[in-house]
Amino acid sequence: MAKFPYSSRTRIHGRLPRTRARLLAESLLLPSPDSDANYYDIDDILTEDEPISVVFQVTANGVGLLDPGAESNCVEKGAKVDLPFWLAHGLLTLEQAVSINPPPCFTQRTWKEIQADAACVDLRVLCPYFYELGCKIVPFRYKEVLSKSHSSSMMTMPKFVPRFTKEESRVFESARESMAAFKKWRAGGVRLQKASILGRKRKTKLHDGQPTP
Amino acid sequence: MYGRRASQLLKEIDSSEAGQLAPFNTDVFDQVIRECSEHNSQFQSLIRKMVEQNLDIETTRNEDHYGAAIHHLSLLRNKRCLMAYMYNRAEVILSFRWKVGPVLPHDIQEKLHFSEKEYFKNHSAAIKSYISEMDIDLTVDMVPPKDPYIQVRVLEDIGEVSLGDHSVSLTKNSLHFLRRTDAEQFISQGLMEEFLE
Repeated sequence: MAKFPYSSRTRIHGRLPRTRARLLAESLLLPSPDSDANYYDIDDILTEDEPISVVFQVTANGVGLLDPGAESNCVEKGAKVDLPFWLAHGLLTLEQAVSINPPPCFTQRTWKEIQADAACVDLRVLCPYFYELGCKIVPFRYKEVLSKSHSSSMMTMPKFVPRFTKEESRVFESARESMAAFKKWRAGGVRLQKASILGRKRKTKLHDGQPTP
Repeated sequence: MYGRRASQLLKEIDSSEAGQLAPFNTDVFDQVIRECSEHNSQFQSLIRKMVEQNLDIETTRNEDHYGAAIHHLSLLRNKRCLMAYMYNRAEVILSFRWKVGPVLPHDIQEKLHFSEKEYFKNHSAAIKSYISEMDIDLTVDMVPPKDPYIQVRVLEDIGEVSLGDHSVSLTKNSLHFLRRTDAEQFISQGLMEEFLE
């Protein structure tokens, strides 16, 4: 059985709390796909699903399914294929088997559009994991997102919300929730509540006709 | 293949609301496991090809090697997805113990895989033995209390319950003035609500 030369990854010092901000910071410092701390993190895993266009520097046998244009069961040297980020990254760093072209959402054109008016660029269409993947444009949109989310009330949804990437949606939603919780606290509502999981419409009888206890 | 199916599992978790569980997706889960076997057998056949040609597996870098590397990476990816699926569901299940109590309602139990039900049972037992050693009920007062007693309105018929030194008849729509620690478990199950003037 072959021993593959996968070296262990370096880690970030200390144990920061599991927050969005920390995930972002880690991806800025260490863009490695198998960082131990993020192993189970759903966002991290889905980020690495994003397609990246690569050019194969070698031929690979037995993997014809990767390249829709392949005639035999291999990918030929020089073939241009779309691979998920995790595969592209693994092949690049461990095997030097591919070369990577940056995805279209990170071009000069996008950068200029964002500089013109950040809120109007439809990032989700470009790439739902824009930040986690690109990590270059963070400070620009963050401040605006935070301030808008704090000021908007429960009912109104600003028109740019559907354009948010996942990260921004989470920041937006958590700011909204904290504002709502604050208002509720001010108004002095009930503090003990039915567990939210039970809030759904439930069957009120078991199958033999007895009511649920 | 190549991790596409496994992502489905994670997207399912991603699209459900925080703290809620979808039914365990046994179909896709088993499909991913079958794909892992497929990747493994392809991997083995590529390695065997190299061995038959008397090439050194550790150092040779030919087409078979790169193909095997891709299958290996796919296996690692599938493994990561499967484990993350189980792990994130397990976290939600743990939170149920604290939010709902040691017995789960029927419609939640339907969504759990057998191993998840075992996990919940063992976790509840561990908490129970810990609590009995400490002699403090850790599952009450999840919100810092302001008053040892609260007024509650009963939402569903519960019947006679003995609380402390006396028993109370908890009929629907009756009001009671109970100790917080007693009332809290009924409130979290949705059987009572806090009554504000």
